[in-house]
Order: sequence, then structure tokens, then C-alpha cells
Amino acid sequence: MKRPPVPVPGINNVAKRIVGRRDSVLARKNIRDSLVSVAGLIGRPVRDIEGKDIGRLVDVVVRHGEETYPPVSGLIVKVGQRKSFINGARISILTKDEIRLSTTKINLEDYQRREGESLLDGDVIDHQIVDVDGLRVVRSSDLYLAPFDKEIRVVGVDISFVSFLRRIFPGAIRRRPTPEHVVDWASVASLADGHGVVRTSNSRAALSQLRPADLADLIEDLAGREQGALIELLDPELAADVLEEMEEEELQGLIRGLTSERSAELLSRMEPDESAEVLRDLDEEHRESILQVMDAVVAKQLRELVAFDETLAGGIMTTHILIVKEVDTVAHALKLLVDNRERDISDGVVVVDARGRLVDHIQVVELVAAKAGDLLSSLIGPPYPTSINLDTPLDEVVEEFSNNRGSSVIVVDAKNKPVGRILADDLVDALASQVDRRKFSQGSGGLS
Amino acid sequence: MTEVKKAAKKISPSAARTITPRKIRIAALLSVMGPGVIAGLSDDDPAGITTYSVLGAKYGYQMLWVLVISTIALILFQDLGARIGVVTRQGLIGLVRQKYGARSGVLSAVVLILANIGTMTAEFAGIAAAGQLYGYSKYVTVPAAALIVSFLVLKGSFSRVEKVFFVLSAVFFAYVIAGFLAHPDWGQAFHGMVVPSMPFTKDAVFIATATLGTTLAPWGLAFIQSYAVDKRLTRDDLKLLRVDVWTGSLLTGVIGFFVIVTCAATLNKQHITIVDASDAAAALKPLAGTLAKDLFAIGLVGAALLAASILPLSTAYSVSDLTGRPAALDDGPKEAPLFYGTFAAITVLSALLILIPGAPLITILVVSQILNAALLLPLLVYMYGISKDKRLMGEYSATKTMLWIYRVIIAIVFVCVGCMLWFTVH
Repeated sequence: MKRPPVPVPGINNVAKRIVGRRDSVLARKNIRDSLVSVAGLIGRPVRDIEGKDIGRLVDVVVRHGEETYPPVSGLIVKVGQRKSFINGARISILTKDEIRLSTTKINLEDYQRREGESLLDGDVIDHQIVDVDGLRVVRSSDLYLAPFDKEIRVVGVDISFVSFLRRIFPGAIRRRPTPEHVVDWASVASLADGHGVVRTSNSRAALSQLRPADLADLIEDLAGREQGALIELLDPELAADVLEEMEEEELQGLIRGLTSERSAELLSRMEPDESAEVLRDLDEEHRESILQVMDAVVAKQLRELVAFDETLAGGIMTTHILIVKEVDTVAHALKLLVDNRERDISDGVVVVDARGRLVDHIQVVELVAAKAGDLLSSLIGPPYPTSINLDTPLDEVVEEFSNNRGSSVIVVDAKNKPVGRILADDLVDALASQVDRRKFSQGSGGLS
Repeated sequence: MTEVKKAAKKISPSAARTITPRKIRIAALLSVMGPGVIAGLSDDDPAGITTYSVLGAKYGYQMLWVLVISTIALILFQDLGARIGVVTRQGLIGLVRQKYGARSGVLSAVVLILANIGTMTAEFAGIAAAGQLYGYSKYVTVPAAALIVSFLVLKGSFSRVEKVFFVLSAVFFAYVIAGFLAHPDWGQAFHGMVVPSMPFTKDAVFIATATLGTTLAPWGLAFIQSYAVDKRLTRDDLKLLRVDVWTGSLLTGVIGFFVIVTCAATLNKQHITIVDASDAAAALKPLAGTLAKDLFAIGLVGAALLAASILPLSTAYSVSDLTGRPAALDDGPKEAPLFYGTFAAITVLSALLILIPGAPLITILVVSQILNAALLLPLLVYMYGISKDKRLMGEYSATKTMLWIYRVIIAIVFVCVGCMLWFTVH
């Protein structure tokens, strides 16, 4: 059930990418000419200032910071049987033919992984990365270093299969850069390091260019740990948008892999009906662990939604509705709308009588046109909103929609008190998940 | 809002239900024809049945212990594969590339392709052998089978006929009944299971190695892991998946046991050696009489088609994982050349191998499984390495005891393959 691999990017994305390419350091000729393949360096002799071999290169350490192109902060060198760390300041020459230090003395210190550092061979090469330009998940075949802005930095990543195959050969073939396949480091997001996540501003920036739907597709192609890492990189608001775009099965798997705290944070930012759908399919124990760390009000609301059967109106509605009384003023209603604008569901308010029963739904346009001091009761009148009961079956909800040609219906309880609303997109989701279910028994076209 | 709560309770009295729709679907998926059971039945493919038959016919009950060890190894490594797939959500080959680098990645892909060309050749040999029982030429049956299988799989209609193949291959359950009807010497059978002994001859070592290779087949290990990744099975589903894997693996062992016992009680007693499929089919005579041949042929074709449908697809899936993410049938040939290339290479090469004039079918069936055992070694070592990697496996990494058991199994395979090479050279 995969979507087409390369979705058409939005206009904004294209514009941003063109800017990105113009800034690319790879476009500079002197840099292209001095690229050093990291995969080719591994295993090469490391020499001291007098040209004496002191050991062999095991890995290259880089420091991630605010800069787009992370600088080399040191080398891990195998001296005898011991792996030692050599500070980046001691490197005098680092080319594809030679690694030379500026000293004869090296103190053998074991490498201790530090926050914000990663090992290029151990953590990045052959791991999954996101190619933001190509909108796909690939394994990085090689990385390229080049001197730039006073330091030796990672400037490009090779994502081609040809370069991967080059690495299985011995000697010079392995070391020769194949830069026609190099992608600027700025347009990829690397997701791995020893602690699970590289919190680089670069990856964050690269990913935030993408639309939620594209990100959702990418997440579905990532391995478990990388999925979590990508979600961690996104700002929670965007992450919640991405989650809403994911396929149900995928989303389930993802949530199962996140901590309860993170799940709670993301689920409470999503549309309540969608969060409820996810929570409904979790183990009770897992669900409770998430709900318990959530904001109490949101948790209460979600608990109620989770309890509904997903083939009935109550199970597909969103509980985001703004309820006002007939005796409230227009100004009060508008303030309520403004206060809740973050939720971006407010195209109007639901008006109830003194006993809480549904009277009308008033659109924002009507409120804006009225005077601030007017009572809402003065705005009540036809057309009245369509309302249905909590236990209305899905097919009847569909019927109501097609009869009324509206974009939403209001859901009321047995006493005619409004409890939620079903928007057209909620209905589409509900129907789509039913279709999915029917398809499921026929296999998903992947493996058997 | 309490009103809502009450209303909710009214609609759905079991508000705190733990059995979710998703769970039911996964359970349904895994219960009848889960990947473990599919792999299990496909392990009893023509190569498996023939190898077990030869073992029973030639050595009677003496070498049943080889099957016992093979089955234990199968259970443990299939279980490990399922666990790796669920926890890392990566296929075996991709994971080997990530952990061990380019050369290991390519090596494991090549190993998998070679082993599976061998096994696929064995599937076609099964088809050819079944055809020959009725006098059909292999030049007709093998290309036809290759075309049918490729068409079904590539057109995505495999899931519809899968059940048919499944039922056909289940015909081999007949060996269980045949085993009882043949009145075997149960005492000797038990003795053969628990007391390891074997003549140290070239033939005995070869058949022991083939038994290991056919039971613990490389493709099965990659398949179970890919399945968990492809079906997005999560840690919550792992329990069900493991039940399925254990069931399937035990099924392989049980069917294998009865094949050996049946052949020991019939063919071995009458000193018949297996040179072609009709000899092997003769073991079913106490059960089916004159229908023995038909029963054997149906099982052979069903199991061969079932395995031949899954094998190239799952291999292509695993190998394409080298590029970063596994490709699947939803991608076109242009987007996923490695996927379609592997698929085509396995199907075409193995069909061609069988079509070589005068190719000895029974020998091919057994030799392909010896190849399996040899190629199994690097894969087992990689899986062992992944199983103890805490960064990849987290709380699911193997315990010290488990690691020792894995080492013993790997050592056994190593010794078998080593002895076999020694005999080949001398």
C-alpha cells in the first residue's frame, strides 16, 4: 500500500530547493576537486610529522553544531591493538592519499563518545538517511570531506548504488571519489548516532522544508530506530501533522516505538478523533501509560472518544467544538474562536439553550458581520445545522452528508446536547479505513 | 461531558477492551497461514522430502538425531529472525550492510541469491520429477511452472492461489498416517533421535549436511525477517509471531520425522535406494497402495509451487534492501532494478539448470541442500552478531545462555560443512 515514490513537490519546496542548490558548497570547483572519500580513508595508514606510520585509521569523528557542514573533530586510529582518539587539531594533512599529523607525540587516549559527535563510518555510512531533494530514504554509500571555512568538513554524501559497489573492491578503486553522485550535505537528514539521534540543525532544517504528507511517506520507509529519530527532530506541531498523514498501520507501529511522554505530546496535538483511533488499537496498559502523562483535560476527552465504537458517529467525531449559550454575546463567541485558533477547527460556534440543548451553529462570517454587543440569540435562524445521534451508524452518517450537502454535521447525545462534530474529512478517513480493512485480507502486495 | 461518557458506555459496554480490531487482524493473519507456517511447509518442499527420504531409506532410524538438531536450530534461528525483524524493522541484508559494511552486505546478498538459485532449482526438480512420474517431459513442465509462478506473483494474484498451493503441499501430512501404517520400530526410532551416531562415510556426512541445509534454509531466515518488516509487525505482535514461528518450525520437524520413519520402515527394510521420484513415492504404498504415486506427485507439485512463489519474491525483497529500503511489487522495474533483477535471475537460472539434458534430479535435489548448509554459515554468523548488538536489539538482545546455544549450532553447521569439504577433497 505504498504511494507513488516521488510525489510532486509543492511550489514552495521547489523554490526553497533552488535556493539551497545555489548555496551549495559542492557547486564550488575547488571543493569538488578536493573531495576525500571517507570510506576510502578507513584502514589507511596514519603518519606522524616525520612520515612514520603510527597506525591505521578506524573512523572519523565529526562534531555537529549550528553549522551546516560539520567539521572533523578527531580521528580514531588503531595503534597496535589499541583504538586511540587523536584530536582534530593535530591533523596536518588529510587527503585521499595521505593522512599526516602535525606531531610525533601522541598520547594514547581511548575514545569516549561525546554528546553531539558522530562516527562517520560507524554511525552514518551504510545507515539510512533521508534524501530531502529526492524525497526518499536511502542508505548512504559514502561521505565526502573537503577543506572549507578553515576546517575539514563533511560536505557531501554519496547515495548511489554504484559508489556502494565501488567499496567492495580493494585499493585505489575503493578510494576514488565518484562525485557525480554526491548530494550536498545540506539536503540530507542523517538520523543515526551512538545515542540514537543526531540533533543537528542541518537535519532539522532539511526536514522542515518538507510537507507533512511527504514526511509521512518517508517515515514509512525508515527502520524503527530511525523513525523515532526523525520524529524527535521535528518540531512537535509539525510532527503531529505528519502523524495525521500516516497510514493507520504505520502510525500504530510508530507510536508503539515511542516513549509514553513523546506519544502523549504528539497525540494531544493531533485531532482528537485521530488520536482516539490510534489509542483505541493499543493495549490497555500502553494506552493508560500514555493517557496518564497527558494533560488531564485532553486525556479525559480522549478516554471518552476511545470508548466509542468506530463504526458509529461517536467513534468518528471530533470533540473539538466551541459551545456557547444563547444569552452570550457575539464578542464572547469571537473571543472563544480566537483563543482556540491553534486547533484550526473553528469555523463557527455551537449555540445551546439554558439546558444545554442544541439550538444552532453560527458561522464566523455571521459573527463578524454582527455587532460585538449583540446577543447570540439574535443571530439564530435558518439554515439550522444537521444533527445526528452518537449511535448513528456510519452508513447513515454518509446518507446525512449526501442529503444535506453540508461540510459537517453536529453530533448530539440522547438529550440533544451537542458533544462533537463530524467533518467531511473525518468521514473520508472512516470510510477509507473500512476499505483498507476489506483489502487487508487480500494481502498488501508486498510479501505473500 | 459526563453525558458523553454514559452514552459511550451504553454503546460500547466493554469500553476497556484489550482485543483491538488490529490485533484480531494480525491474529487472523498469523494463525492459519502465518509466515512461520508457510516457511515450515515450504521447508518440506521437494528438496526437503527427498533429502529426508534418502536419509531414512539409506540409514533407517540411525540418523534421526540430525533432524532433531536441525529442527531445534530452525526454531531458534527463525525465532531470532522474527525478533530482529520486529525490533529493527530492517531486512537481514540491509542490517548486515549497516552493521558490517559494504563487503559483508554484498557477501550476504550473493550468498542468499546463490542459495536460493540452488533451492529454486530443487523446486523445479520437484516439478520435473512429478511430471516424469506421469511421463511428461521436463522441457514442458519446468518452463510452464516458471511462467505460471512468475505470472501469478508479478500480477499480484498469488494471494488468491496461495491457499491452493498450501492445501496441495499439506498432502505431505499423509506421511504421518503412512508412518503409523508402516509399523515402524518405535524403540529404534526413539534411540535414533536421542543417541547421535553415524557411519563416518562420505555419503552419511553429505546427507547429514543436506538435512541441516534443507531444514534450516537460508531463504527462510531472510523471509521471516522481511515478513515482519513488510507487514509492519510491532513488538506487541511478537508473541503471536513467535507462536506462529514455533508452530511452523515444529511442523517441519514432525513431517520430516514421519518421512524418515516411513522410509526407514519401508524402503530401508526392503533395501531400496532412491534413484528417482518413483522410488521415494513407494514409501507411501502402505497408506495409499496404487495411489501412492499420485499422492506423492500432488504433494511434490503443491510444495514446489508454494515455495517457488515465495522464494524469488522474498529474495528479491531482501536483496533490494541493500539500497536503503526494500522494494516491493508496487514499484516498477525502473525504480527497483535490483528487485526485479534478482527475481528474474533466480527464476531463469534455476529453470535453465534443470533443463540441462540428463541433469540427475535426485542428485540436484540433495546437492542444492548441501549448498544451502554451506551458504548458511555466514548468514548465521551475521545473525548471531546482530542478536548480541545492544544498540540494535536493545532489551531484545540475546542472553548469554542463548548466545552459547547459537554458537553451538553454528559450530555444528561448521563441522558438517568442514567434514563434507574434507571428503570432497579426499
